[in-house]
Amino acid sequence: MSAAATAVELTAPVPRHRRFAGAAASYAGFLPAIVLFGGFFLVPLAIIVCYSFWEVVNYDVVHHWTLGNYDYFFSVSTYVTTMWATLWVAVVATAITIALAFPFAYWLSRYVPQRLRPLLLVLVVVPFWTSYLLRVYSWLTILGEKGLLNRFLQWTGITDHPIGLFLYDRPAVILVLIYLYFPFAALTLYASIERFDWDQLRAAMDLGAPPLTALRKVLIPQIRPGIVTAVIFVFIPVLGEYLTPQIIGGLNGIMIGNLVVNFFQAAEYTRGAAVSLLIAAFIILLLFIFRRSLSAPEAYGG
Amino acid sequence: MAAEHAVISTRGRIARGSLGVYGALIYLFLFAPIVLLVLFSFNANRYGTFPITGWTLEWYRAAISDYQIHDALSTTLRIAFEVTIISTVVGTAAAFPLVRSRLPFRNGIRIVVVLPIMIPGLLIGVSLLVLFTQTLHQELSTQTAVIGQAVYTTPFVILLVAARLQGFDRRLESAASDLGANTFNRLRLVVVPLLLPAIIAGALFAFTLSLDEFIITYFLIGGHNTLPIYIYTQVKFGITPEVNALAAMLLGASLAILALAFALPQVIRAVRRGLRHARGRETTLAEGVA
Repeated sequence: MSAAATAVELTAPVPRHRRFAGAAASYAGFLPAIVLFGGFFLVPLAIIVCYSFWEVVNYDVVHHWTLGNYDYFFSVSTYVTTMWATLWVAVVATAITIALAFPFAYWLSRYVPQRLRPLLLVLVVVPFWTSYLLRVYSWLTILGEKGLLNRFLQWTGITDHPIGLFLYDRPAVILVLIYLYFPFAALTLYASIERFDWDQLRAAMDLGAPPLTALRKVLIPQIRPGIVTAVIFVFIPVLGEYLTPQIIGGLNGIMIGNLVVNFFQAAEYTRGAAVSLLIAAFIILLLFIFRRSLSAPEAYGG
Repeated sequence: MAAEHAVISTRGRIARGSLGVYGALIYLFLFAPIVLLVLFSFNANRYGTFPITGWTLEWYRAAISDYQIHDALSTTLRIAFEVTIISTVVGTAAAFPLVRSRLPFRNGIRIVVVLPIMIPGLLIGVSLLVLFTQTLHQELSTQTAVIGQAVYTTPFVILLVAARLQGFDRRLESAASDLGANTFNRLRLVVVPLLLPAIIAGALFAFTLSLDEFIITYFLIGGHNTLPIYIYTQVKFGITPEVNALAAMLLGASLAILALAFALPQVIRAVRRGLRHARGRETTLAEGVA
């Protein structure tokens, strides 16, 4: 709209009120978004920050500033253990996801013929766009007591009774998290490997570099932004996971997100707010570590 | 590519072969759980898992005639329609100033706008729960769930429309103005038709995301049930064949929507081309400009 305004300006002077109206009109589209993101995203987050520093007296939230909610969280050893376990699960799940996705993306962009690639890419996306809850749920048919894995082990004679080991513990949670976030990591890595000029790798090998050294010194540095994006987009949602530990993890697989839900369901808003803020703090820390490799305008294509 | 194939070494062939096997295993990993789920929905065994004792449509019949599922389905669809309308309108309108005008703090705003996608939905859910129940003293309802979901789905619409707008040739609009089009006609005849594929893709995205959304809805919906929440309450006690059947139907529905999202822009383009062609034959060219 403002370009139209400048185009007119070239031919004849525009009355000031019309120019102002043009500018206002170009911002007007943003008003509903300000209401939505301001009123229902930023303001609630600000309230949560306040809540985490307020205290509850006689079931009422009192606007009295205190660190009590954080003190309480760190004084209960189960909570602290759960927090570290969550970080550990997030690190392990992210690392394995990226480690699995890298050779896959490499294969897709280097060895798969051009005409097959769109189909194979869509097949990676398809599970990603089916229901998240159902993808978690579907693992019960594999890991459960009467699941595929136990049936298989009984059939081969390795064991004669079902093993409950596969379900309701952290390894199962990590496995399902890898399954959930693999498509994202694979697509992100594919997008950055696809732009790589394979002649550089060949040149490095012609100059005597062993293949793995060539990969490490030539390919990896060039796709670092893609790797960082993949790490961030796997790590962040894993930190806030609730469903997977709840359905797959049972009591042993509980994560910090489950603590948040438990606090809020028990109407302990201030304590729940403090735990939520801990999750947010870890996210901010992660973004801070990787800040150099991140650029928001890229998402808008400009 | 062809030259590379000619000079490939034994080691290269081994790498290619083993990576090919690896790729196949990955697809097995991605699809096995989903395929098993669908398989079990036809299994006569009433525990919803192995062994497969026979094939039946019984569970589909049970799921389709379950009144709780009817209730949850109608709530889910109503919420999804409202969320789609809100996020399509708000997102499309917001994409223009984000891409085009010199909004103050534009980069900051761009980050805030994608933040709801990046932070865990759990945080959106609990913060809105506190806003609605503690600060505004509102009763939780499907309306509060709609607002919560819209916060999460609108950024996707913004990103899709903004990406399309970024590659938009501004001269087309100047040309329309030069030819006498006012703002409304410029939008109607030039801008919206060119952005339509992105807007439709955004709407379908929002719709699918809303159908599947669990955690935000879980906190904000109060006493009502959406399908994901209904499934969750059932799954807490283990798998049942009815839920398997319901899950299979939902998977089918999301795949259909996904296919639609890919196909629809092309269909629209084809239809419009056909229309223009037909109209061109019966009227003069001048009509198209005015």
